[in-house]
Amino acid sequence: MILDLHTHSIKSDDGRAKVRNYCQWIRSRDIPIDGFVLTEHRQFDAESDYTALAEEFDLTILKASEVETDYGHVLVFGVNDALRAAFDFADIHLSLAGVIDACEQHGAIAVPCHPGRKRVGMAAHLDLLGVPAGVRIVETLNGGSRDGEDAIAQAMARQHDYLGIGGSDAHIVSHIGRCATRFPAPVNSIAELVAALRAGDFAAVSFKTSESDA
Amino acid sequence: MTIKTLSDVEFGAQLPVFAPDTSLENVRRFARAAGWDRPRFTNHEAARAEGLPGALVPGIMSQGFLSAMIHRWAPDAQVTNIDTVFRAPVVVDEVYQISGVVTDIDEEAGSVVIDLTVTNTANETRVFGTATAKLPT
Amino acid sequence: MSLDIEDLKARFLNVDFDEQTFSITAAKLADYAKTCGELAPRYTDPTHADFQAPPTFPSSFNAGRRLPDGFPNLPGMGMDAGKAVTPRLPIRPDTKLIGRSHIHDIYTKSGRSGRMVFIVLRMELYDEAGAHLSSADTSMVIRERPDA
Repeated sequence: MILDLHTHSIKSDDGRAKVRNYCQWIRSRDIPIDGFVLTEHRQFDAESDYTALAEEFDLTILKASEVETDYGHVLVFGVNDALRAAFDFADIHLSLAGVIDACEQHGAIAVPCHPGRKRVGMAAHLDLLGVPAGVRIVETLNGGSRDGEDAIAQAMARQHDYLGIGGSDAHIVSHIGRCATRFPAPVNSIAELVAALRAGDFAAVSFKTSESDA
Repeated sequence: MTIKTLSDVEFGAQLPVFAPDTSLENVRRFARAAGWDRPRFTNHEAARAEGLPGALVPGIMSQGFLSAMIHRWAPDAQVTNIDTVFRAPVVVDEVYQISGVVTDIDEEAGSVVIDLTVTNTANETRVFGTATAKLPT
Repeated sequence: MSLDIEDLKARFLNVDFDEQTFSITAAKLADYAKTCGELAPRYTDPTHADFQAPPTFPSSFNAGRRLPDGFPNLPGMGMDAGKAVTPRLPIRPDTKLIGRSHIHDIYTKSGRSGRMVFIVLRMELYDEAGAHLSSADTSMVIRERPDA
């Protein structure tokens, strides 16, 4: 099963994609993914219900978040009420240690994203802040990466034995599925996603072509 | 293929790609027309002195390129909204590609939504956004 | 220097702080369009019956002041993070255009060496008769320096 683990909709301040249009795009272009996870910036979108869309298009559509920490941006999978009460998702000064700790306590998992990106990626903070405890997985393939950012992420992952996921970081419809994550078993719920990530059995994949890179 | 009416458009249709003229001469001409005749857009040395990689193509010019692409594809299109995010500098005298794809068709409103991107030769996105355009029905 | 964002929003959002008048010649409009790669004659040919500014043209207008009176000094000029235009009616050459500006939104994002503050400025453009011609947003990003 292949899921794009990093996407944004119009719920994110810089997102320009409607979720229905993502689904239409995936099906009309035969994008080789079975679903995607909406990781909205600095919030968890508790209101939106994509069950009907998921059924209509036979896709898995899950919800997560992208938060901002002292080590850059972090994807949080497995958001629940208890986790939302544990820290303010809108705070741009969260501590990565605090986010990881809260995730551990409340059955979620935190994954630093685009770690090779300047300023907002984890690699940029290691010199000053040291290697953070508790990180097991990072995003090693990001569809929006440029200037060798993925190579930096992958080198960091090798150095520190991190596992790697892939995600498109799509903000517009046509960018979905450029990178994704392959799982050997079905993942149809957030609980199954968190379990699969914790089990460590997955691989980042890239579907970038000269066309889809654009 | 140029588009005349909404019924000519299919979901996922790719607009004809074009390579905009980002030469210093053309950018200078644009800057004069727009009243944006500032060194960071018209002089590589001055731009670098500001810490920039070179003279920049103004964001409004990138936006203009995207809008021009829509009109090249559908000459009678009326752009009713265009929204662009500038992710990385677009540098004068470097080569870029302007592309777009149709990602929504609203038959009731008679409009389409188009994903827009400006990419460099490494296929990295420098500007992205969306436009809504009304087409004759 | 650290901006109090909530205070700024309470004081400055949606309050017109500037009004400018503009007029643009047909020759400059045509040049603007051609340099952007426009081919449609209604944008490139001043003799065309429907000659008008290209739809993104309103983005080129600047308010007389960058920010309202009383807004805190910002570190640096700021970079253009994005633009949005909603054209409503055609803009014709050699007509008097009135642009009224307000701050539409202020928000922050994290950065390595401090916050990035985004200020969205909106200019509403009218003609002399008061017809609403366009809305144009500019998102300006300023990188705050860390407090000493």
